[in-house]
Amino acid sequence: MKPGIETTQIEAIRIKIRIETAAMDALMVRLFDTIDEANMAWVIAADQALRCAFGAALIDLVPSYTTLLVHYDCQQMNHAEALGLINKTLSGLEPADTQAGELHDIPVWYDESVGPELPLVAKRAGLSVDELIQQHCNHDYCVFALGFAPGYGFMGLVDEALATPRLKTPRRKVAAGSVGIADRQTAIYPLLSPGGWNILGRTNVPLFEYAKRGEPLFRPGDKVRFRAISREEFEADGGDTTPMEERP
Amino acid sequence: MSIEIIKPGLASSIQDKGREGHYHLGIPPSGGMDQRSLIAANLLVGNPEGAAVIECALMGPELRFDTTRKVAACGAEMTPRVNGEAQPLNEVFEVPAGSTLGFDFVKAGARLYLAIEGGIDVPERLGSRSTYALGSLGGMQGRTLQAGDTLALFQAHGQAVSGRHLPPSLVPEFSRQYQLRVMPGLYAHRLRAESETRFYSEDWVVASEADRIGYRMKGGTPLSFIEREPPFGAGDDPSNIVDACYPIGSIQVPSGSEPIILHRDAVSGGGYAMIGTVISADMDTVGQIQPHQKVRFVQVTLEEALAARAHYQKVLKQLRQMP
Repeated sequence: MKPGIETTQIEAIRIKIRIETAAMDALMVRLFDTIDEANMAWVIAADQALRCAFGAALIDLVPSYTTLLVHYDCQQMNHAEALGLINKTLSGLEPADTQAGELHDIPVWYDESVGPELPLVAKRAGLSVDELIQQHCNHDYCVFALGFAPGYGFMGLVDEALATPRLKTPRRKVAAGSVGIADRQTAIYPLLSPGGWNILGRTNVPLFEYAKRGEPLFRPGDKVRFRAISREEFEADGGDTTPMEERP
Repeated sequence: MSIEIIKPGLASSIQDKGREGHYHLGIPPSGGMDQRSLIAANLLVGNPEGAAVIECALMGPELRFDTTRKVAACGAEMTPRVNGEAQPLNEVFEVPAGSTLGFDFVKAGARLYLAIEGGIDVPERLGSRSTYALGSLGGMQGRTLQAGDTLALFQAHGQAVSGRHLPPSLVPEFSRQYQLRVMPGLYAHRLRAESETRFYSEDWVVASEADRIGYRMKGGTPLSFIEREPPFGAGDDPSNIVDACYPIGSIQVPSGSEPIILHRDAVSGGGYAMIGTVISADMDTVGQIQPHQKVRFVQVTLEEALAARAHYQKVLKQLRQMP
């Protein structure tokens, strides 16, 4: 048996929402098919409305670019009830205020030693490295979703000219604080981890430090602005200048 | 009131029932991979069922106790030894002050849970003492145990009784070949029909990359996805999707070649299509499968998954009511 795909409609924008069974106690709510900044107002609104509607029956609710995963307590609610509640909650949805998110200023040391793909991305875009840095800094990126690792925010949209596909072979180790681009997304690696994005530089801003904040720095709907700093400034701030050793 | 880690074992970590409700921040639940064995070990020594224990994977640690404590070891079959003397599994025994507790090589299963009367005293992080090593969160300084670590213990409560044991009907049985029940869904429609049929009819072998994050499978025929024009934001490979949340238990197949079952330390999302989800009642089983053992995936319906969960809850109830 294939679990059915239910559909409902947000009346205000006449989009068909698809609700798929993700597990016996989880439903994937699909609002859109493609990444678009304009979609965020709806994803955030759906996140808030569903969190409210499910209340104590909610185990977790994970928004992403186009989808939300609703994980509910199946001892409090059955599959049909959860489906019904989602339908009822989303049909009258109004877009959220996307200006409500926090704006984060992220200082980045852009340098080939810690951002080995600077020349590659610049060359593809037909820009000098300095122009590329300027372009990467010249935009307030929207935090679409958190995930992959604690504190990791999927951000976009990067200017079309800068869009660069992921590395063919991911690096086994990408240094913490590495700032990268994949297609039209940009992100910061919060911790030393494997990864396949094109790395342009490094920041010393901690994205998830339990002892200091207890929760990640970014929230979906926040905005992020990168700011180029010199090696001296980066070092003065305690930044780790160890070059990225591994080449893809 | 502490225990010292003489040898850490292969990947020993402090775990409890985990921290739910933070997945939207990229923080997975963590917690014991075989929850049933973790709960059984705690209940045997009279601890609250979610007290922090040591999860020992494949090769157990060697521990020195500076205080006399009753303990119980449940899960994988690795004979415990106090100063070299064999002790029973699934039964409370005493470790006298100054003595050493070690474990033999694993005979069956993959993870043993060592509950110590009173429980392990590490700080709670987001409501749990579980270790999430990838995020440096919880447990012993956010990492697996190392030689030289000293683990503080809570006060002994005096409720533990040597010789108390699991009734034979509640002792899990291990095998070399497992069946895992899967609810197909999510992006399963992106698989070619014949490929999906084959996925459920072949033996898969657990690869050596089998840890708290996920279990990688090898040996089956690579899966074939239907070619499509990638939607904006998704990668070019037909197994790519627009990045989305990965439920715990979901099976993703990067490039179609090697399915990965995500477990309790999973990355919370990414760009690979999921073709189904291992039912929650079978996730404890996944945590007990060793690398190189065989797995068959079996399709089940939502109703069958719920029935399996009800049965699992019944077993937990029996554990809570054991004499």
